[in-house]
Amino acid sequence: MTTAVTTLPVLHPARSLARMDMTLALRAGSVAGIVAVYAAAVGILKVFGQREVIVDHLTLGHVFLFSLAGACGAYVWTRSKASIRLRVINVVIAGIASGFFLVALIALMANVNLRWMFTALSSDLLRSLIYDRGAVGGSVLFLGAGALGAICGALLIGLPQTPRRCLVWGLSAVLIAGVFQELIQIALRFGWPITSLRTFLYVWRGLTLQGAMIAFATAFCVCWALDLGRRHLRRRRGPADIDVAIPRLRSQLASAVLLLCILVVFPLVAGSYIGQVMMLVSLFVLMGMGLNIEVGLAGLLDLGFVAFFAVGAYTMALLTADSEFALAHYTSLPSLTFWMALPLAVLAATGIGILFGLPVLGVRGDYLAVATLGLGEIVRVLVISDAAKPVLGGAQGILQVPKPTIGGIELVDPMHLFYLTLVFVLVAALIAWRLEGSRLGRAWTAIRDDEDVAQALGINLVQCKLLAYGLGAAFAGLAGAIFAAMLTSVYPHSFSLLVSINVLALLIVGGLGSLPGVIVGALLLIGLPEVLREFNEYRFLFYGVLLIVVMQWRPEGLWPSPQRKREVRTPRLG
Amino acid sequence: MNVQPILQVTNLHVSYDQIEVLRGVSLSVDHGSIVTLIGANGAGKSTLLRCISGILRPKMGSITFAGAEIGERPAHLIARSGLAHVPEGRRLFAKLTVDENLRMGAFRRNDRRGIDNDREHLLEVFPRLRERFRQVSGTLSGGEQQMVAMARALMSRPRMLLLDEPSMGLSPIMVDFVFETIRKINGEGMTILLVEQNASLALQIATNAYVIENGAISLEGSGVHLMDDPRVREAYLG
Repeated sequence: MTTAVTTLPVLHPARSLARMDMTLALRAGSVAGIVAVYAAAVGILKVFGQREVIVDHLTLGHVFLFSLAGACGAYVWTRSKASIRLRVINVVIAGIASGFFLVALIALMANVNLRWMFTALSSDLLRSLIYDRGAVGGSVLFLGAGALGAICGALLIGLPQTPRRCLVWGLSAVLIAGVFQELIQIALRFGWPITSLRTFLYVWRGLTLQGAMIAFATAFCVCWALDLGRRHLRRRRGPADIDVAIPRLRSQLASAVLLLCILVVFPLVAGSYIGQVMMLVSLFVLMGMGLNIEVGLAGLLDLGFVAFFAVGAYTMALLTADSEFALAHYTSLPSLTFWMALPLAVLAATGIGILFGLPVLGVRGDYLAVATLGLGEIVRVLVISDAAKPVLGGAQGILQVPKPTIGGIELVDPMHLFYLTLVFVLVAALIAWRLEGSRLGRAWTAIRDDEDVAQALGINLVQCKLLAYGLGAAFAGLAGAIFAAMLTSVYPHSFSLLVSINVLALLIVGGLGSLPGVIVGALLLIGLPEVLREFNEYRFLFYGVLLIVVMQWRPEGLWPSPQRKREVRTPRLG
Repeated sequence: MNVQPILQVTNLHVSYDQIEVLRGVSLSVDHGSIVTLIGANGAGKSTLLRCISGILRPKMGSITFAGAEIGERPAHLIARSGLAHVPEGRRLFAKLTVDENLRMGAFRRNDRRGIDNDREHLLEVFPRLRERFRQVSGTLSGGEQQMVAMARALMSRPRMLLLDEPSMGLSPIMVDFVFETIRKINGEGMTILLVEQNASLALQIATNAYVIENGAISLEGSGVHLMDDPRVREAYLG
């Protein structure tokens, strides 16, 4: 083969390169600026501006704008191919450009009333962002901050790995300490040494400047020390194992145990509200593990997953509730306790799962998504319908589902319910983990990759697919049953399509096919929006942004399984 | 020579929707032989193999394997009865390693020691795979992938191997190597039904051969005999 070498017809390559870089800088800056203006217009900036990271000094709004500029600076720095001097100039241009859009917005707002359309564009908003310096001072501040942010971003990306990681740790520590100050302050409320730590770092409104510095320095030093330790270890052990195929099982296990410890202790110190949130998170973890069997392992996309959750919840309600809809009310069946009804609810969900699997056995790929979507909707519509109202209670649902009891004690406290759920999660995780490595798990992998070949290897497609649906549904049924007992009631509107999408999204964000990924995904997508209540209005906007960001930068998910990582990261040849 | 052939296809008709792809194909494969089926693109070669291994259902006709009718049997049961299909284009589990692919091949088996022995043996037949043992199979070269595909099928300890276009897309050296291996596997007693476009090589190693044209067998005979046939020479050997 011959390759034709062509030179581009450019007369002044250096100048054109510089121009190209300038375009790049302006484009990056514009994107950041437009994002900032958008955030201001829809009101995100306003909400962020009310969340103080460092009392009287820094709000989340500042952090947001500054990181936007930083991101575009970092982008320009890595993409630009010109000389260092030109690159610095371009970074500054990008930063100023990003600030310019907000300046333009200020100017526009000063002359035109935009509030009739964008209610969030109040003058308070901008005043709070520019620390009460009039229009001119504010504009200069915005442009300057944009340039500074871009330079910081470029510096950060240009630093060697160790200091960069330490800086990121330090900044994240400040951000976490500031944003979650309420939770942390509650957690720091007991005992003398801890209380004095709290008064040192915080005032009642939030993190103090000195607290922020301490948080930064601590995280920075911890990261540095860890890095030194790691290097020391590596030097003693010799060169790192480069074989990616062998998962580092021990370190994975260690992180899983650590994660578990945090899950157990965290609600204990952080108060009962966190207990409630964690309860919800663990329900979604249960569902996530179920859907993970279907989607992550067997490759069967399922958008009707919420149906199994609903079946579990309604079974629990029908069997245990003290209401006219309970089976005990109009049949000779006895009214069951939570513990007796639980296996039946799981069983019912499994049955429905297998029933769901039957019609879609021959359907593959995108069609499967649509078919399961339809099946899920059928269940929801049935539950809410007038036809089923005498049995399932229609839109009013079924009330007075009893809470679970252990040894005669009713578990009323959300914290207790959380620990109960956590036990179920652990058992379910153990089952899911064992399934993954089992013969059935391997059969699922084979089916996911190539159905024809799987058959040719003697794998029974029908059986394996139905088992995937049935087992996945069992997890969701368990979650549903607990959900019913937790709320002491079931309503059809709890079982909307959004639940299915949430579960799928948390799987994708965490990493398809990865058990720790399910937990990370649930914490991030279910837990975080509950804790940051004021962002709830923009919840789905954040979901969307997060999904896009994860797909762009970590398509294998935040905590992927080793195999999945290989799949996404290995180029396919031949 | 065994009197009864291990695989017997009689008057097989297959159609995709309304279009008839196979129109009354009959062929038989004796124990321990290599039978090749040559033919042009779209003549129905792969369709025949897919039908034998149960991925497609025949419209009419019978397929018997080791004395049992398998025409209506689901694919996984056919595979379990000892018929291993190496599909066209290799179709490896691209994201799994060579080792994992081989172990997938032994999916139905429980004898761990037997599996380990067989794997060891296959790594001797395909020495290249030992070097690539822990490599993700999607990153292998075409020839290496073909070896993995054949080894994966052999890991199930089949009684007969269906090979669909093993030489497709391979370099000439690799093609020779693959055919050499096929002969070696056959030498160990494996019955092989080989579908090929590379007619000259396929006929060379064949005990028996069939030519398929427009969904029907047009010629049959021993490999050597067909190589000398003027019609075959003109159409397939060039």
